[in-house]
Amino acid sequence: MYKLAVDDLHKKYGNHEVLKGVSLKAKAGDVISIIGSSGSGKSTFLRCINFLEQPCSGRITVNAEEIRTAKDKTGALRVADQKQLQSMRTKLSMVFQHFNLWAHMTVLENIIESPMHVLGISRDEAVARARKYLAKVGLPQSVEDKYPSHMSGGQQQRVAIARALAMEPEVMLFDEPTSALDPELVGEVLKVMQSLAEEGRTMVVVTHEMGFARNVSNHVMFLHQGRVEEEGHPHEVLVNPKSERLAQFLSGRLK
Amino acid sequence: MNEIIHDYWKAYLWTDGLHITGLAMTMWLLVLSIAIGFCLSIPLSVARVSSNPILRGPVWFFTYVFRGTPLYIQLLLFYTGIYSLSAVREHEFLDMFFREGFNCTILAFALNTCAYTTEIFAGAIKSVPYGEVEAARAYGMSKFTLYRRIILPSALRRALPFYSNEVILMLHATTVAFTATVPDILKIARDVNSATYASFEAFGIAAVLYAVIALTLVWLFRKGEARWLAFLKPQSA
Repeated sequence: MYKLAVDDLHKKYGNHEVLKGVSLKAKAGDVISIIGSSGSGKSTFLRCINFLEQPCSGRITVNAEEIRTAKDKTGALRVADQKQLQSMRTKLSMVFQHFNLWAHMTVLENIIESPMHVLGISRDEAVARARKYLAKVGLPQSVEDKYPSHMSGGQQQRVAIARALAMEPEVMLFDEPTSALDPELVGEVLKVMQSLAEEGRTMVVVTHEMGFARNVSNHVMFLHQGRVEEEGHPHEVLVNPKSERLAQFLSGRLK
Repeated sequence: MNEIIHDYWKAYLWTDGLHITGLAMTMWLLVLSIAIGFCLSIPLSVARVSSNPILRGPVWFFTYVFRGTPLYIQLLLFYTGIYSLSAVREHEFLDMFFREGFNCTILAFALNTCAYTTEIFAGAIKSVPYGEVEAARAYGMSKFTLYRRIILPSALRRALPFYSNEVILMLHATTVAFTATVPDILKIARDVNSATYASFEAFGIAAVLYAVIALTLVWLFRKGEARWLAFLKPQSA
């Protein structure tokens, strides 16, 4: 059984077709890296998975439960049941490029917010979870009462990962998690992500970090102009690319 | 000067022996109208930023009318204008309500400050970073939870400096209440002035009282900002 299955996803902005039928299947423990140049549709694809963007067509299944959709007036997909979407989103925690921590809340409040007010667990339990995952991402308990704006980008992103973990999701979605970080801060975030992968968490990662794609993920998808140009195990795809596009892309990136 | 204070200090501060007057009345006007205005403005500001024109339109019209006309005229309309309508006088509840100058004053003040506050809060709601809203949606929050837990707490904090301004302006605006025979600080000062002809003292005392209230409000808001806006401040070492 797949943790996450996306089937033939299409997305248009006006007449411009950004995604032309992209599919993805993730089993438990899979770490899937989605790579591609900017404009290839990789972020849009990730954001369609939890309906932050409305796909035009396609099917999305989380833990064998398909998200029910209907067509709206413009022909785009509309979620048929908001409650189902909300419960599905709790199983797909997302980590954003710009962290998107809630600025008016302290670190601890950020992490316990959704477990308490979406999942409905008690404050004590949420705090215990928060402390566990803060330790997991390598932050000391002393940061709990800090506001996000008083932390470095790398620390903020690790808090965001702890916030995602506190939902105890089925699948974690990472949208270019290191792209907004200063180069010397990228390492600390990648290290945390690697440790999550080793724990057997199911992750879908949109990334520009070829080292991560090659060494940590067990499946790489190369998106080009809204299509999956090539995919497979990173040691095949990244070492011996079959398509010219991927070879070009990699030669620009890998030294 | 001493004589005026000796004779009238009670009236200036809280009572003329029959009614609540002076400082106490001004504070009561301010607190009541601000409280009503605040409570109404929260749902209205959410409606004001709605993408649905049926929600947005009437709120826009309301704030346009109340911000577009002077408070003094609004008070005159509520106090003398509405009561001149026979339909109002013949209706038992309306007759009772609009006969009282105090009720008309509170109604006018509350709606007026509500209009300004609605615009302040609506602006603050729009300034909540979109990424934070998106994160809340991505974590499965319903629209109601999103507003209750993320958008409104963030927006109300960001609005605090602008809102404190509105409260102080409202304090000064309460001086038109004497029009509806409400015995606020200014009404007492005018009475003292007609009784003693000591204009400078009579109005000077009133000015000092307003300044003291304003300073207290500024101090309170400063405290509030230190507490609720700490997240926007650069961290002190």
